[in-house]
Amino acid sequence: MTSTELSPDVRAKTSALQTMRTSAWLGWKIESNWTDPLIFAIYSIIRPISTAAILIVMYLVIRGGEFGQPDFVNMYIGNAFFILVGAAIQGVSFGILDDREHYRTLKYIYIAPIRVPVYLVGRSFGSILVAMFSVLITLLFGAFFLKIPIVFSEINWGLFFAAIVLGLLAMISLGIILGSWTLIIKNNAWSLGESLGAGLLIFSGAVFPLNILPAPLQWIGSALPISYWLALIRRALVPEIGRAYPMYTDVSDGRLILILLGFTLAYLVIAALVYKRLDFIARERGNIDMVSNY
Amino acid sequence: MFAVETEALGRIYKIKKTRKEPAHTLIALDNVNLKVNQGELFGLLGPNGAGKTTLIKVLTTLLGPSSGTARVNGLDVARQPEEIRRQINMVSGGETSGYGLLTVRENLWMFTQFYGIPSRQANERIMELLKIVGLEDRANTKSSNLSTGLRQKMNIVRGFMTDPTVLFLDEPTLGLDVGAARDVRRFVREWVSEDPRRTLLLTTHYMVEAEEMCDRVAIINQGKILACDTPQRLKESLSSEGVFSIQVSALDQSEFEELKQIPGFRQGTIKQIESGAELELVLADDSVLAGLIGFLAAKGSSIITLHKREATLEDVFISLVGKSMKDVENGAAD
Amino acid sequence: MALQTKVTRRSGPRLFFQTVIGRAYPRIIGTQRDLAWLFFDIFLPFLSMVAYVYIYRALKAPEEYIGFVVLGSAMTAYWLNILWAMSSQLYWEKETGNLALYIISPTSMMAILFGMASGGLFATTVRALVILVIGNWLFHVSYTVVSFWALFLVFVLTMAALYGLGMMLSSLFLLFNREAWHTANLLQAPVMLFSGFYFPVRVFGFWAAAAASIIPLTLGMDAIRQLVFPSGPLLGFLSVKVELIVLSILSVAFLFGAFYTLRLMERLAIRLGRITDRLG
Repeated sequence: MTSTELSPDVRAKTSALQTMRTSAWLGWKIESNWTDPLIFAIYSIIRPISTAAILIVMYLVIRGGEFGQPDFVNMYIGNAFFILVGAAIQGVSFGILDDREHYRTLKYIYIAPIRVPVYLVGRSFGSILVAMFSVLITLLFGAFFLKIPIVFSEINWGLFFAAIVLGLLAMISLGIILGSWTLIIKNNAWSLGESLGAGLLIFSGAVFPLNILPAPLQWIGSALPISYWLALIRRALVPEIGRAYPMYTDVSDGRLILILLGFTLAYLVIAALVYKRLDFIARERGNIDMVSNY
Repeated sequence: MFAVETEALGRIYKIKKTRKEPAHTLIALDNVNLKVNQGELFGLLGPNGAGKTTLIKVLTTLLGPSSGTARVNGLDVARQPEEIRRQINMVSGGETSGYGLLTVRENLWMFTQFYGIPSRQANERIMELLKIVGLEDRANTKSSNLSTGLRQKMNIVRGFMTDPTVLFLDEPTLGLDVGAARDVRRFVREWVSEDPRRTLLLTTHYMVEAEEMCDRVAIINQGKILACDTPQRLKESLSSEGVFSIQVSALDQSEFEELKQIPGFRQGTIKQIESGAELELVLADDSVLAGLIGFLAAKGSSIITLHKREATLEDVFISLVGKSMKDVENGAAD
Repeated sequence: MALQTKVTRRSGPRLFFQTVIGRAYPRIIGTQRDLAWLFFDIFLPFLSMVAYVYIYRALKAPEEYIGFVVLGSAMTAYWLNILWAMSSQLYWEKETGNLALYIISPTSMMAILFGMASGGLFATTVRALVILVIGNWLFHVSYTVVSFWALFLVFVLTMAALYGLGMMLSSLFLLFNREAWHTANLLQAPVMLFSGFYFPVRVFGFWAAAAASIIPLTLGMDAIRQLVFPSGPLLGFLSVKVELIVLSILSVAFLFGAFYTLRLMERLAIRLGRITDRLG
């Protein structure tokens, strides 16, 4: 062995990193490269602001314009961060559809010596990055125009970053589960990720507390990591108001983090199992190089 | 009256400025003069990017001419597109038409409705044509479940459904297997011959297809018509010259360039193979061979095989362009 | 082998009618052939409706607002249909190669657009009705219909204006935009906001509501709310009569607009070579 040769182990690790880096670059290019940066920025702002504005107006017509009230602040922050849920969930499945039906490259990805899930996760980074930008814009809009009381010095940054990292991992796991399902769908289900993401709003506690739902729907919400994650985000950004939200009031921050960690690990395992099974079915049915032609 | 007639037809595309290249124009058709008689099966032969598809688009009213005129059955493409559309149809190879969730029969029926054909007649004709192309057992299959070749057959049937007087086939056998391509060629030939009012203009980059099927062929490259005649006469234009296929033990590209200087050399191509190189040469006459053999000997190369053969349309193309069609498509240097 | 079956070809109004039926067919048959739509077009919008209902429940809104959400969710199906299956449609047709085949046929492109619109309207009405029925059943929405005839007229005029707009946008999308997907995506949420899918549009004030009325669903939904909910007239933007007049004007204007933009699109596309982009 010469001194410059890499061991197979190192090669495998480099390859995963390289795959992730390349697919993240690709995802970002596809997400942003269709127009010039200004139009892209406007495009990225309009949608989240409009969605937030629907909530603002709903609140306005019922409660009047007191946007500093805890129930509105919690709803606003929940809605802002829910954008990330939609993006992470949609990212993977959209990448699969885009590569399979539009660019028709999924088959080449599959025969390349890379780990496909790593590629798919990287591919979704573009939409996650845009979503992060949207979250930021929505929060800034809220802070400036609605006086949402986010005080920089009062933010619990440690809790915030821990929650963001764990939450993103959990959301990506959900994305892989949905993406795996997309692998076997014989349909041009472009809106699947987005619609299902929007559907999860019900079970997330993002814009209303779970306890107003009928019991069976509450159970679904409790079995998903989103509501714990959003509770932590609220407590990190607006500690007082966040704790006033009528969900998990008797659970400490530390315990909430542990719960989220548990859920994240569980969903990572579930995602791996679901991917393995559905990927097998997709290859058995010959779905990898399928074009729906609708 | 000609079925198709163009006079000094030109078409340019204006390419907008991008980050990578400045604004520029691309000449797709350059002073094209063409006359296709009624009842003729006419072929446009040229490499990919030669301008064949652009010409078809102009003639089918999808694209306006930038200069000159084009007429179909005496009607001007720019001024009388509606009248032309009543008389034509078009099939593009490699493209799918219709909707994946409709069956073959439903897709075809839908298109007949855009031509005002009553449903009963349309359904009878669909079944007849499907039988001819061997697709009748797939009439009720969703077109998304068809293979590429079968989808192309459906597309071809669509072109014949409406009884056009001028039919444009753009690479119709693209993607078809050998047997299916043969069936399509036979059907196309018969369709034209059974009614003298029918004209068919076909683009292809398959030499055999042009030679086998067409009454006349125009050779097109870089938007220009280089020659237009019957395949036989095009080949005969090289009859005073000799066409040779020669396999030699070794010859590289620079030596081949030197070979081109031999007096009497007209055109030629070289392809490197495992056991040496293959030359396709058009020489002024047989006497040039002496000089060629001397040249090869001086280069230390020996002849493995040499045979004189009849000229093909490929040779005609090489003699006109200086490169094989494949080399043009691959962007080989002049 | 000579073809045995002879075909005749109609022209004029019969060709127009045949084209409309021909192009509507895939959309109508699609609803029964591809049952995935039950999931994608009903179940998923239904989840979204439930979310908005519970937001109002959490805010302790009057029960009528639940009705607004159910109605708005049903009408969302039409807006999504206009964006994704009308405005973007010619663009998709270009991508798949069908557009060239439509243009070289002797039929009118207006007939093709009418076919797309009528097929889309039928398929979407099925979806909207299902969402409406389930929403009503689940959330016990009660309606007090003032006049069935007025309601019918509002619906018909709203759809005429809306699908006229869709037909017009289809040419514009194709002409000025190569990114139909992004444009449709961009237009989705702002219209959901300003057309008042979940609340009375008068909350925006007169001028903003008037500007939003360019989207026919704004006045259409406002008029429907006034005609079926007891508090509707109190929350209405304009009187139903005025809204009917504006919707009539919009219907005619968009239909003419569709006709002229289509002609413009065809002319420019042929000149610039945009109907099919490939060179050859």
